[in-house]
Amino acid sequence: MPTKTRPVEKIAKAAAQCSVEAAAYGKCVVSDYNSVHKDMCAKEFMRLKDCFLAASKKG
Amino acid sequence: MFSLHTIRSGLPRRCLAANVRTYASQTPGNPMMEVFNRKTKHLQKDRAARNVEESRKVDYLKDEVARRLCERLLDIKRDFPNVLDLGANSCNIARALTTPDLDMAAPEGVSTPPLTQKIPNITCVETSRALLHRDEDMPFNKEINIRRDVIPDLETLPYQANQFDAVLSSLSMHWINDLPALLNQVNTILKPDCPFIGAMFGGDTLFELRGSMQLADLERRGGVSPHVSPLADVKDVGSLLNRAGFKMLTVDVEDIVVEFPDTFALMQDLQAMGESNAIMHREAGPLSRDVLLANEAIYRTLHMDDDAPGIPATFRMIYMIGWKEGKDQPQPLQRGSGDVNLKDILGGGDFERP
Repeated sequence: MPTKTRPVEKIAKAAAQCSVEAAAYGKCVVSDYNSVHKDMCAKEFMRLKDCFLAASKKG
Repeated sequence: MFSLHTIRSGLPRRCLAANVRTYASQTPGNPMMEVFNRKTKHLQKDRAARNVEESRKVDYLKDEVARRLCERLLDIKRDFPNVLDLGANSCNIARALTTPDLDMAAPEGVSTPPLTQKIPNITCVETSRALLHRDEDMPFNKEINIRRDVIPDLETLPYQANQFDAVLSSLSMHWINDLPALLNQVNTILKPDCPFIGAMFGGDTLFELRGSMQLADLERRGGVSPHVSPLADVKDVGSLLNRAGFKMLTVDVEDIVVEFPDTFALMQDLQAMGESNAIMHREAGPLSRDVLLANEAIYRTLHMDDDAPGIPATFRMIYMIGWKEGKDQPQPLQRGSGDVNLKDILGGGDFERP
């Protein structure tokens, strides 16, 4: 059966290594979830994404 | 292209006034909302079932609900020689019927026989051939007489009136566009005084995912698009059944909470079940990776308990039972005709003060 990992599994694996950044981003969005707007937490998201990209390169 | 104005001026007016009788209003048949794309749904089911191994692995939900649905059959002291399973998926109901010890109320250690004694024949109808025939080589097929019908569209049933002793349906009706019409058909194909028993996803199913997806969409892209289907609400189901002519209705709700390691696993499982989004105007193409990443973070923050190993996902089941009208069917008594006070039987009646 298929030996190659599906793209979503790679994403999941990399995302799991950024729990601190993810928690910071999640907290930022949820802190004011009645008035979420675009790029409200852009700074936190960029940190999460940087971590995620670094993790996916390693894995 | 032309505008309405040009058509009108192009028509011979005198002629219209003299010969054509017009009505103030004319209803063009039954107006119907197309919510789900049937072709997409069919493809998703077919594709999911072709990966047999994965597809069997994620049958946990459908098997569980089928079992709980069949448990409700135990309450009816009657045999059903000819039963229809509407939207059978991989014949999960047939499999549940062959399972012994369905009766949860039975005393421990006492074994109850499988329901095949009451239901020897079942017709399973489904739109996806791959899904319906997935398990036809498994041993349970020998214990019950299954007929598999593949039809192009679940919303028009190819059966004659007064044909079935019971119609069952488990986890399929939430993809139906025109539920009132389907329930009408179910009522027609049932014999008089025979039950329809159904289970479907309702209202708050996957509310966690629905909410966190909206927040992720909003924060990353500045707008929302539907990722989780609209579902029927509990309070609508009663009136739907009523409208289709069913009598003696029973509707109840049950939540099943499943724990997943992360949102990616949840979405993968939904896809392998053939239950991914099939809304008419959904966005084409896969979800953006940014939104997926944001969603994962928001879902965890909102719904995960601190020391829990995974994230919870709620599936809200609506179970419904309705009986086709029949002669000599038990009727509810007139209101106010009771001569025993329920308070005497159940006791109490007052709330305890803290």
